[in-house]
Amino acid sequence: MALSLSERQKAILFAAVLIPAIGGLYATTQLIQPAPVQATTVDFVRLDIGGDGWSIHYGPTNTTNNTAFGLLLEASKALSFSVRWSNWTWPAGVLVTAINGAANGLDDRFWQYWVNGRCGNVAADREAIRSGDEVLWNFTVITCG
Amino acid sequence: MTSRWKAALDRGLGDRRSRALGILLIAFAVIGKLALLSYANLEPIFAASIIAGSVLGRWWTVIVPLAAMLILEPIEWGSLYPGYALDAIGGVTFFVITGFLFVGIAGRRLRPRVAFRVGSLALLTSISVPLTIVYDVWTDVGDWYFLLRHAGESFGTVLEMQIPFTVYHILSSLIFVPLFGAAFTFLHYHLAEVRATGEDAQKAGAS
Repeated sequence: MALSLSERQKAILFAAVLIPAIGGLYATTQLIQPAPVQATTVDFVRLDIGGDGWSIHYGPTNTTNNTAFGLLLEASKALSFSVRWSNWTWPAGVLVTAINGAANGLDDRFWQYWVNGRCGNVAADREAIRSGDEVLWNFTVITCG
Repeated sequence: MTSRWKAALDRGLGDRRSRALGILLIAFAVIGKLALLSYANLEPIFAASIIAGSVLGRWWTVIVPLAAMLILEPIEWGSLYPGYALDAIGGVTFFVITGFLFVGIAGRRLRPRVAFRVGSLALLTSISVPLTIVYDVWTDVGDWYFLLRHAGESFGTVLEMQIPFTVYHILSSLIFVPLFGAAFTFLHYHLAEVRATGEDAQKAGAS
Protein backbone atom coordinates (compact mmCIF):
# COMPACT_ATOMS: atom_id res chain seq x y z
CA MET A 1 0.00 0.00 0.00
CA ALA A 2 1.52 3.35 -1.09
CA LEU A 3 2.14 5.93 1.64
CA SER A 4 -0.12 8.93 1.07
CA LEU A 5 1.08 12.23 2.57
CA SER A 6 -0.87 15.45 2.87
CA GLU A 7 0.57 18.67 1.44
CA ARG A 8 1.46 19.78 4.95
CA GLN A 9 3.35 16.55 5.64
CA LYS A 10 5.14 16.83 2.32
CA ALA A 11 6.10 20.41 3.16
CA ILE A 12 7.50 19.33 6.53
CA LEU A 13 9.44 16.49 4.92
CA PHE A 14 10.78 18.81 2.23
CA ALA A 15 11.89 21.36 4.83
CA ALA A 16 13.43 18.58 6.95
CA VAL A 17 15.64 17.59 4.04
CA LEU A 18 16.33 21.03 2.60
CA ILE A 19 17.24 22.94 5.77
CA PRO A 20 19.99 20.53 6.92
CA ALA A 21 21.33 20.46 3.35
CA ILE A 22 21.53 24.25 3.33
CA GLY A 23 23.06 24.23 6.81
CA GLY A 24 25.67 21.68 5.82
CA LEU A 25 26.65 23.55 2.68
CA TYR A 26 26.81 26.84 4.56
CA ALA A 27 29.07 25.26 7.18
CA THR A 28 31.29 24.00 4.34
CA THR A 29 31.54 27.47 2.84
CA GLN A 30 32.60 28.88 6.20
CA LEU A 31 35.27 26.19 6.60
CA ILE A 32 36.82 26.99 3.23
CA GLN A 33 37.05 30.74 3.89
CA PRO A 34 40.66 31.93 4.21
CA ALA A 35 41.47 33.34 7.66
CA PRO A 36 42.01 37.10 8.04
CA VAL A 37 45.56 38.32 8.84
CA GLN A 38 46.20 40.03 12.16
CA ALA A 39 48.06 43.31 11.72
CA THR A 40 51.59 43.25 13.11
CA THR A 41 54.70 45.26 12.38
CA VAL A 42 57.12 43.73 9.90
CA ASP A 43 60.58 45.05 9.04
CA PHE A 44 62.59 45.34 5.85
CA VAL A 45 60.01 43.90 3.48
CA ARG A 46 60.46 44.53 -0.21
CA LEU A 47 57.88 45.04 -2.93
CA ASP A 48 58.62 44.75 -6.66
CA ILE A 49 55.99 45.39 -9.31
CA GLY A 50 56.63 44.28 -12.88
CA GLY A 51 54.31 45.93 -15.38
CA ASP A 52 54.14 46.31 -19.11
CA GLY A 53 57.59 47.78 -19.77
CA TRP A 54 57.83 49.44 -16.36
CA SER A 55 58.69 48.44 -12.82
CA ILE A 56 58.24 49.86 -9.35
CA HIS A 57 60.26 49.09 -6.25
CA TYR A 58 59.33 49.85 -2.67
CA GLY A 59 61.07 48.88 0.53
CA PRO A 60 59.84 50.40 3.79
CA THR A 61 61.94 50.01 6.91
CA ASN A 62 58.89 48.82 8.77
CA THR A 63 55.18 48.62 8.17
CA THR A 64 52.00 47.35 9.77
CA ASN A 65 50.57 46.51 6.35
CA ASN A 66 51.73 42.93 6.64
CA THR A 67 49.85 41.42 3.69
CA ALA A 68 50.75 41.26 0.01
CA PHE A 69 47.82 43.58 -0.73
CA GLY A 70 48.36 45.94 2.18
CA LEU A 71 51.98 46.49 1.15
CA LEU A 72 50.88 47.14 -2.45
CA LEU A 73 48.34 49.75 -1.29
CA GLU A 74 50.93 51.40 0.93
CA ALA A 75 53.32 51.60 -2.00
CA SER A 76 50.59 53.04 -4.27
CA LYS A 77 50.01 55.87 -1.79
CA ALA A 78 53.70 56.51 -1.19
CA LEU A 79 54.69 56.43 -4.87
CA SER A 80 51.43 57.77 -6.37
CA PHE A 81 50.35 55.02 -8.73
CA SER A 82 46.85 53.63 -9.06
CA VAL A 83 45.58 50.27 -7.87
CA ARG A 84 42.11 48.96 -8.67
CA TRP A 85 40.57 46.01 -6.95
CA SER A 86 37.26 44.40 -6.11
CA ASN A 87 36.18 43.26 -2.66
CA TRP A 88 34.65 39.83 -2.22
CA THR A 89 32.70 38.48 0.71
CA TRP A 90 32.54 34.91 -0.57
CA PRO A 91 35.31 33.90 -0.85
CA ALA A 92 36.58 36.59 1.48
CA GLY A 93 39.32 38.74 0.03
CA VAL A 94 40.30 41.18 -2.66
CA LEU A 95 41.05 40.70 -6.32
CA VAL A 96 43.53 43.19 -7.77
CA THR A 97 42.34 44.07 -11.26
CA ALA A 98 44.67 46.85 -12.36
CA ILE A 99 47.95 48.42 -11.23
CA ASN A 100 49.24 51.68 -12.65
CA GLY A 101 46.68 51.49 -15.46
CA ALA A 102 47.52 47.94 -16.61
CA ALA A 103 44.26 46.00 -16.40
CA ASN A 104 43.67 42.27 -16.08
CA GLY A 105 42.91 40.57 -19.37
CA LEU A 106 45.03 42.86 -21.54
CA ASP A 107 46.87 40.58 -23.96
CA ASP A 108 45.80 37.63 -21.77
CA ARG A 109 47.89 38.93 -18.86
CA PHE A 110 46.77 39.23 -15.28
CA TRP A 111 48.16 40.55 -12.02
CA GLN A 112 49.55 37.79 -9.85
CA TYR A 113 51.70 37.89 -6.76
CA TRP A 114 54.55 35.85 -5.32
CA VAL A 115 56.01 35.92 -1.82
CA ASN A 116 59.63 34.82 -1.66
CA GLY A 117 59.23 33.19 -5.06
CA ARG A 118 56.13 31.20 -4.06
CA CYS A 119 52.89 31.81 -5.94
CA GLY A 120 50.11 33.30 -3.87
CA ASN A 121 47.13 30.95 -3.69
CA VAL A 122 44.84 33.02 -1.49
CA ALA A 123 43.48 36.53 -1.86
CA ALA A 124 46.32 39.02 -1.51
CA ASP A 125 44.84 40.56 1.64
CA ARG A 126 44.86 37.09 3.23
CA GLU A 127 48.52 36.42 2.45
CA ALA A 128 50.58 37.37 5.49
CA ILE A 129 54.12 38.61 5.03
CA ARG A 130 56.93 38.50 7.57
CA SER A 131 60.00 40.59 8.20
CA GLY A 132 62.45 40.32 5.35
CA ASP A 133 59.92 38.92 2.85
CA GLU A 134 60.03 39.84 -0.81
CA VAL A 135 56.71 40.40 -2.54
CA LEU A 136 56.50 40.45 -6.32
CA TRP A 137 53.46 41.62 -8.27
CA ASN A 138 53.84 40.69 -11.91
CA PHE A 139 51.62 41.40 -14.92
CA THR A 140 51.92 38.22 -16.94
CA VAL A 141 50.06 35.25 -18.36
CA ILE A 142 48.56 33.14 -15.62
CA THR A 143 51.21 30.93 -14.07
CA CYS A 144 49.79 30.57 -10.58
CA GLY A 145 47.15 27.82 -10.49
CA MET B 1 0.54 42.92 -40.74
CA THR B 2 0.20 44.79 -37.46
CA SER B 3 -2.38 42.33 -36.19
CA ARG B 4 -0.06 39.43 -37.08
CA TRP B 5 2.74 40.95 -35.02
CA LYS B 6 0.35 41.64 -32.19
CA ALA B 7 -0.89 38.07 -32.27
CA ALA B 8 2.69 36.78 -32.21
CA LEU B 9 3.51 39.08 -29.26
CA ASP B 10 0.43 37.94 -27.40
CA ARG B 11 1.32 34.31 -27.96
CA GLY B 12 4.93 34.86 -26.95
CA LEU B 13 4.40 37.06 -23.92
CA GLY B 14 1.15 35.56 -22.72
CA ASP B 15 -1.57 37.36 -20.80
CA ARG B 16 -1.16 40.30 -18.42
CA ARG B 17 -0.51 37.96 -15.53
CA SER B 18 2.43 36.34 -17.33
CA ARG B 19 3.84 39.70 -18.40
CA ALA B 20 3.60 41.12 -14.89
CA LEU B 21 5.23 38.04 -13.37
CA GLY B 22 7.94 38.04 -16.04
CA ILE B 23 8.89 41.61 -15.26
CA LEU B 24 8.72 40.91 -11.54
CA LEU B 25 11.02 37.92 -12.01
CA ILE B 26 13.55 40.05 -13.88
CA ALA B 27 13.38 42.65 -11.08
CA PHE B 28 13.95 40.01 -8.40
CA ALA B 29 16.90 38.59 -10.32
CA VAL B 30 18.54 41.98 -10.82
CA ILE B 31 17.89 43.34 -7.33
CA GLY B 32 18.87 40.04 -5.75
CA LYS B 33 22.16 39.90 -7.64
CA LEU B 34 22.98 43.54 -6.92
CA ALA B 35 22.40 42.93 -3.23
CA LEU B 36 24.76 39.92 -3.39
CA LEU B 37 27.35 41.33 -5.76
CA SER B 38 30.30 40.56 -3.50
CA TYR B 39 29.20 36.95 -2.96
CA ALA B 40 30.71 34.85 -5.70
CA ASN B 41 28.26 32.43 -7.29
CA LEU B 42 25.21 33.37 -5.24
CA GLU B 43 22.99 33.53 -8.30
CA PRO B 44 19.38 34.67 -8.09
CA ILE B 45 19.50 34.80 -11.91
CA PHE B 46 19.90 31.01 -12.01
CA ALA B 47 16.75 30.58 -9.93
CA ALA B 48 14.92 33.21 -11.99
CA SER B 49 15.88 31.42 -15.22
CA ILE B 50 14.65 28.02 -14.13
CA ILE B 51 11.42 29.51 -12.77
CA ALA B 52 10.86 31.57 -15.92
CA GLY B 53 11.02 28.40 -17.97
CA SER B 54 9.04 26.14 -15.65
CA VAL B 55 6.30 28.55 -14.49
CA LEU B 56 5.93 31.18 -17.21
CA GLY B 57 7.25 29.40 -20.28
CA ARG B 58 6.75 31.08 -23.67
CA TRP B 59 9.24 33.83 -24.55
CA TRP B 60 9.91 34.46 -20.86
CA THR B 61 12.17 31.42 -20.89
CA VAL B 62 14.64 33.52 -22.88
CA ILE B 63 13.61 37.07 -21.94
CA VAL B 64 14.12 36.72 -18.16
CA PRO B 65 17.76 35.52 -18.19
CA LEU B 66 18.69 37.74 -21.15
CA ALA B 67 17.14 40.88 -19.71
CA ALA B 68 18.65 40.28 -16.28
CA MET B 69 22.10 39.73 -17.77
CA LEU B 70 21.85 42.77 -20.07
CA ILE B 71 21.16 44.93 -17.03
CA LEU B 72 23.69 43.30 -14.73
CA GLU B 73 26.72 42.58 -16.91
CA PRO B 74 27.88 46.19 -17.32
CA ILE B 75 27.39 46.76 -13.60
CA GLU B 76 29.23 43.60 -12.55
CA TRP B 77 32.19 44.06 -14.85
CA GLY B 78 32.39 47.72 -13.90
CA SER B 79 32.27 47.23 -10.16
CA LEU B 80 33.79 43.79 -9.54
CA TYR B 81 36.34 43.70 -12.35
CA PRO B 82 37.15 47.32 -13.09
CA GLY B 83 39.78 47.60 -15.76
CA TYR B 84 39.27 44.16 -17.31
CA ALA B 85 39.97 44.12 -21.02
CA LEU B 86 37.00 43.90 -23.37
CA ASP B 87 37.89 40.69 -25.17
CA ALA B 88 38.10 38.76 -21.89
CA ILE B 89 34.73 40.19 -20.83
CA GLY B 90 33.02 39.33 -24.13
CA GLY B 91 34.17 35.76 -24.24
CA VAL B 92 33.27 34.88 -20.68
CA THR B 93 29.92 36.69 -20.92
CA PHE B 94 28.89 34.54 -23.91
CA PHE B 95 29.28 31.39 -21.84
CA VAL B 96 27.48 32.87 -18.83
CA ILE B 97 24.48 34.03 -20.86
CA THR B 98 24.16 30.79 -22.82
CA GLY B 99 24.46 28.90 -19.54
CA PHE B 100 21.47 30.74 -18.10
CA LEU B 101 19.53 30.24 -21.34
CA PHE B 102 20.17 26.50 -21.06
CA VAL B 103 18.85 26.57 -17.48
CA GLY B 104 15.72 28.39 -18.63
CA ILE B 105 15.14 25.87 -21.41
CA ALA B 106 15.68 23.00 -18.98
CA GLY B 107 13.05 24.58 -16.74
CA ARG B 108 10.72 24.84 -19.73
CA ARG B 109 10.89 21.05 -20.14
CA LEU B 110 9.59 20.71 -16.58
CA ARG B 111 6.66 23.08 -17.09
CA PRO B 112 3.92 20.47 -17.48
CA ARG B 113 4.87 19.07 -14.07
CA VAL B 114 5.03 22.34 -12.15
CA ALA B 115 2.10 23.53 -10.04
CA PHE B 116 1.73 25.16 -6.65
CA ARG B 117 2.49 21.88 -4.88
CA VAL B 118 5.28 20.76 -2.58
CA GLY B 119 6.13 18.00 -5.06
CA SER B 120 6.73 20.56 -7.81
CA LEU B 121 8.98 22.68 -5.60
CA ALA B 122 10.88 19.58 -4.55
CA LEU B 123 11.30 18.64 -8.22
CA LEU B 124 12.57 22.11 -9.16
CA THR B 125 14.92 22.22 -6.17
CA SER B 126 16.29 18.74 -6.83
CA ILE B 127 16.86 19.34 -10.54
CA SER B 128 18.59 22.63 -9.76
CA VAL B 129 21.55 20.80 -8.20
CA PRO B 130 22.72 18.89 -11.31
CA LEU B 131 21.78 21.90 -13.46
CA THR B 132 24.03 24.06 -11.27
CA ILE B 133 26.92 21.67 -11.81
CA VAL B 134 26.33 21.54 -15.57
CA TYR B 135 26.13 25.35 -15.69
CA ASP B 136 29.40 25.68 -13.78
CA VAL B 137 31.18 23.20 -16.04
CA TRP B 138 29.90 25.09 -19.11
CA THR B 139 31.09 28.47 -17.82
CA ASP B 140 34.41 26.86 -16.93
CA VAL B 141 34.83 26.10 -20.62
CA GLY B 142 34.62 29.83 -21.24
CA ASP B 143 36.94 30.68 -18.36
CA TRP B 144 39.47 28.14 -19.56
CA TYR B 145 39.29 29.14 -23.22
CA PHE B 146 39.38 32.92 -22.75
CA LEU B 147 41.36 33.33 -19.54
CA LEU B 148 43.54 30.34 -18.71
CA ARG B 149 44.25 28.31 -21.86
CA HIS B 150 47.00 30.59 -23.08
CA ALA B 151 48.83 30.10 -19.78
CA GLY B 152 48.96 26.37 -20.34
CA GLU B 153 46.41 25.58 -17.63
CA SER B 154 44.52 22.36 -18.31
CA PHE B 155 40.74 22.20 -18.22
CA GLY B 156 41.10 19.73 -15.36
CA THR B 157 42.86 22.36 -13.26
CA VAL B 158 40.08 24.83 -13.98
CA LEU B 159 37.49 22.29 -12.86
CA GLU B 160 39.46 21.69 -9.68
CA MET B 161 39.62 25.42 -8.91
CA GLN B 162 35.87 25.63 -9.54
CA ILE B 163 34.95 23.24 -6.71
CA PRO B 164 34.54 25.75 -3.85
CA PHE B 165 32.61 28.09 -6.14
CA THR B 166 30.26 25.28 -7.11
CA VAL B 167 29.64 24.69 -3.40
CA TYR B 168 28.56 28.35 -3.12
CA HIS B 169 26.46 28.00 -6.23
CA ILE B 170 24.62 24.86 -5.08
CA LEU B 171 23.93 26.60 -1.76
CA SER B 172 22.51 29.52 -3.71
CA SER B 173 20.27 27.22 -5.78
CA LEU B 174 18.97 25.40 -2.69
CA ILE B 175 17.99 28.74 -1.16
CA PHE B 176 16.66 30.71 -4.12
CA VAL B 177 14.94 28.04 -6.22
CA PRO B 178 12.45 26.93 -3.54
CA LEU B 179 12.07 30.51 -2.30
CA PHE B 180 11.42 32.11 -5.69
CA GLY B 181 9.69 28.99 -6.92
CA ALA B 182 7.15 29.01 -4.08
CA ALA B 183 6.51 32.72 -4.45
CA PHE B 184 6.08 32.70 -8.22
CA THR B 185 4.06 29.50 -8.51
CA PHE B 186 1.77 30.86 -5.80
CA LEU B 187 1.38 34.17 -7.63
CA HIS B 188 0.96 32.44 -10.98
CA TYR B 189 -1.82 30.13 -9.85
CA HIS B 190 -3.40 32.51 -7.35
CA LEU B 191 -3.71 35.23 -10.00
CA ALA B 192 -5.24 32.67 -12.36
CA GLU B 193 -7.83 31.77 -9.70
CA VAL B 194 -8.60 35.42 -9.00
CA ARG B 195 -9.11 36.03 -12.71
CA ALA B 196 -11.29 32.93 -13.12
CA THR B 197 -13.40 33.94 -10.10
CA GLY B 198 -13.78 37.42 -11.53
CA GLU B 199 -14.85 36.09 -14.92
CA ASP B 200 -17.37 33.71 -13.33
CA ALA B 201 -18.82 36.57 -11.29
CA GLN B 202 -19.14 38.69 -14.43
CA LYS B 203 -20.93 35.91 -16.30
CA ALA B 204 -23.25 35.31 -13.34
CA GLY B 205 -24.03 39.06 -13.20
CA ALA B 206 -24.69 39.22 -16.94
CA SER B 207 -27.10 36.28 -16.84
